[in-house]
Amino acid sequence: MITNPTGRLTQGQFSFLPDLTDEQISAQIKWALAHGWAVSIEYTDDPHPRNTYWEMFGLPMFDLKDPAAILMEVNEARKTFPDYYIRVMAFNSTRGVESPAMSFIVNRPTNEPGFGLSRQEGHGREIRYGFHSYAADKPEGERY
Amino acid sequence: MDNNGSGQITDAAERYKSGVIPYKKMGYWDADYVPKETDVIALFRLTPQPGVDPEEAAAAVAGESSTATWTVVWTDRLTAAELYRAKAYRVDLVPNTGPGTNIEAQYFAYIAYDLDLFEEGSIANLTASIIGNVFGFKAVKALRLEDMRLPVAYLKTFQGPATGIIVERERLDKFGRPILGATVKPKLGLSGRNYGRVVYEALKGGLDFTKDDENINSQPFMHWRDRFLYSMEAVNRATATTGEVKGHYLNVTAGTMEAIYERAEFAKSLGSVIVMIDLVIGYTAIQSMAKWARDNSMILHLHRAGHGTYTRQKNHGINFRVISKWMRMAGVDHIHAGTIVGKLEGDPNMVRGFYDILREPHNEVNLERGIFFDQPWASLKKVMPVASGGIHAGQMHQLVHYLGEDVVLQFGGGTIGHPMGVQAGATANRVALEAMIMARNEGRDYLNEGPKILDDAAKTCAPLRAALDTWKDITFNYASTDTPDFVPTTTGSI
Amino acid sequence: MSDTENKPSELNEIDIDAVYRESEIQDVLDRLDAELIGLVPVKTRIREIAALLLVDKLRRQLDLTAGNPSMHMSFTGNPGTGKTTVAMRMADILHRLGYVRQGHLVAVTRDDLVGQYIGHTAPKTREVLKKAMGGVLFIDEAYYLYKPENERDYGAESIEILLQVMENQRDDLVVILAGYKDRMDKFFESNPGMSSRIAHHIDFPNYNPPELVQIAKLMLAESSYRMSDEAEGVFAQYVVKRMEMPNFANARSIRNALDRARLRQANRLFNSRGRMLTKADLMTIEADDFMKSRIFSDGVDESAQDGE
Repeated sequence: MITNPTGRLTQGQFSFLPDLTDEQISAQIKWALAHGWAVSIEYTDDPHPRNTYWEMFGLPMFDLKDPAAILMEVNEARKTFPDYYIRVMAFNSTRGVESPAMSFIVNRPTNEPGFGLSRQEGHGREIRYGFHSYAADKPEGERY
Repeated sequence: MDNNGSGQITDAAERYKSGVIPYKKMGYWDADYVPKETDVIALFRLTPQPGVDPEEAAAAVAGESSTATWTVVWTDRLTAAELYRAKAYRVDLVPNTGPGTNIEAQYFAYIAYDLDLFEEGSIANLTASIIGNVFGFKAVKALRLEDMRLPVAYLKTFQGPATGIIVERERLDKFGRPILGATVKPKLGLSGRNYGRVVYEALKGGLDFTKDDENINSQPFMHWRDRFLYSMEAVNRATATTGEVKGHYLNVTAGTMEAIYERAEFAKSLGSVIVMIDLVIGYTAIQSMAKWARDNSMILHLHRAGHGTYTRQKNHGINFRVISKWMRMAGVDHIHAGTIVGKLEGDPNMVRGFYDILREPHNEVNLERGIFFDQPWASLKKVMPVASGGIHAGQMHQLVHYLGEDVVLQFGGGTIGHPMGVQAGATANRVALEAMIMARNEGRDYLNEGPKILDDAAKTCAPLRAALDTWKDITFNYASTDTPDFVPTTTGSI
Repeated sequence: MSDTENKPSELNEIDIDAVYRESEIQDVLDRLDAELIGLVPVKTRIREIAALLLVDKLRRQLDLTAGNPSMHMSFTGNPGTGKTTVAMRMADILHRLGYVRQGHLVAVTRDDLVGQYIGHTAPKTREVLKKAMGGVLFIDEAYYLYKPENERDYGAESIEILLQVMENQRDDLVVILAGYKDRMDKFFESNPGMSSRIAHHIDFPNYNPPELVQIAKLMLAESSYRMSDEAEGVFAQYVVKRMEMPNFANARSIRNALDRARLRQANRLFNSRGRMLTKADLMTIEADDFMKSRIFSDGVDESAQDGE
């Protein structure tokens, strides 16, 4: 198990709070839509801190008016990948930003085994560090 | 004498006759001058010596910061002197000074400089002109550089921030909330091993960054390599136990440029995402490090050590907004820019003005916030402001409200001084922040409901409860010295 | 007794006028009256639905929850009888009374919902549903979704998804199915699931000739034209003849006829070069501009496409 105070992966905007209810997720999506951001859903079974590209659960959703539409997809994703990490992201296309504006986790595996730290010692006490997810020892799809 | 409307002598033989003539007459004052789009404009607050005409004082500042010397020189006539002369073109009495007040008269003097007076991409050259000699000049009793308008043509010769807010967030994988940090305390005396412990606890507890203090370099109690090795062990341990990107600002400030590069290279080889320098290393060293950071995919944190010596007094020195502009050009990614609610100097309006300068793609004139010029930033990246000094979790609603989302909130004492320990202190700050961002996004009136939102969040987080109880009454209510000139009443610290 | 304590609350008065005013529902109903000629039975039904929603809102304020009533509807009637316009107003009313959150209308046909190959339909239908969430989904000629002659038609898949959302996400969107009356009836017969989820069936009657003349005058006024008295008489005859011809599409045929009349008016003015024109000349459609229609000479209309 991950040993930080939350006992879980702390990526995203709200990992230190209790799991978000559907109502809370909708409120966050509403904030994104009110800013004209496109919302997307991504999932992975390899939450390495440098794993930037989680799988996309469909394309980012443009031109939507109501959070219910996105919550429907969130629940669809949870149904399809119940034991994966799933995050909701919002993309701001404003010039000078053109980058994600939000990212928060809405689904986690029941067991989060965490990461091992490997150390390769060099000269002068220098160390090269590496991380690897214990879950990622298993093949894709069988990790959680 | 053959004069034009500005009092300038237009007859060449007369103008260049050996001797001393007033600056105004030498051509450094031109009330009709319309600044070109490519001109650099400087706005000075000047307090003339008693009896000195403010226009003459402004002309003198223009002259001394461009081509003039105390006497007429014939060699001017070998040049396109008319072009190289800076032109003071406007002098306004500063509101609430002069006759009828108890403050002696101060003036805002606008001076325009031709672009060819400056070397491309060099803050050192820009500042050697604008603030090189004039601040000790006898004709003015006091002088303060209040603001500058940098033309797009000139900005394009600067690299700008090595990383910028957007790319920093992408590298850290942290979006939609302020970044959290803490400065390791005590400032001095910890051994490398003990120092790393604080880093580990704070990062594991939920902070994104920890930080060396400005004066931690390589002293007898802890040499720099030890600090780097133990801090990076802590950073990597914390990353492994949270799955989140973490960092520690390794201060690479040193006595020579060679030593700075050596330390920065070592930080890079240990896998650090960020290094730190102090403002006191000088503008050229800062620009060198900005280039190094861009070349090595590192975030560059700047501590504004020493700025208070010349930014704080209202009538003399340099306003911090000008330093902010220079540092955005020089290319740092982080800069300490005030907290509004903390222990350090900073009028709310002024601080928001600094933040605007650092973060906006374009500044519009906003006198209330002390922004005198329309300033497009020519796509120079945005600098992440850092709020540090005397802030704690109980102020989270105010911090988010006043400082926004693109900011590093640094809780040094507010993390390390937590009664349940460093890790608990970090957790309290992270939970308070996440709860506040969630409430804001839900459309709640989080500024007014702030204390309730924090209380609610503390129900499931004992460390937050303890933090709120420990610091509930801590505020720093002192009047600011650097206040705006254009609001009816000054706002004071909150 | 606790009962007696509760009694007064049942007698609490509630100001229905205040809620009514606050919803600004009268605005929408007034606009409906002003913009739509005739359609009395439709307007009556809409008033009834508005009243139902209003009372529902009052009940909710007193915690008398009865679950949200189903609001899915079918609009049946011939082309050009105002179904889309009314659907737009309906979305507005539903929004003002808090039944849908955004109040926008997404109008689609079979092509927007049904795909060409396996696995194509579900994403297409879901995409449309997502766009319509918080508002009204208007499916024109809904019966094309169901093609009994082709067992492998993907329309059935789309209907399946629609039904699910209509049942489970009543709070998130309202579906309006529209089309010809007889075909819609047949569609509901073969899709009892769909039929049972439609709460309101509204039939849009054809317009009578005086109503159509009224509509024409309204349309002309909207674009700063008018008919001379003589022209109005001719147009009334035109309408009667046109109604007997194939592909008559009510208001839509009227709009087409007016477009052609404007063309003829322009021609007439162009050919009268040499004299000065007045503003009135530019605004007025004359009897001649209708008389030249082939409906009067050959007994056929220029456009056989009005109904499509």
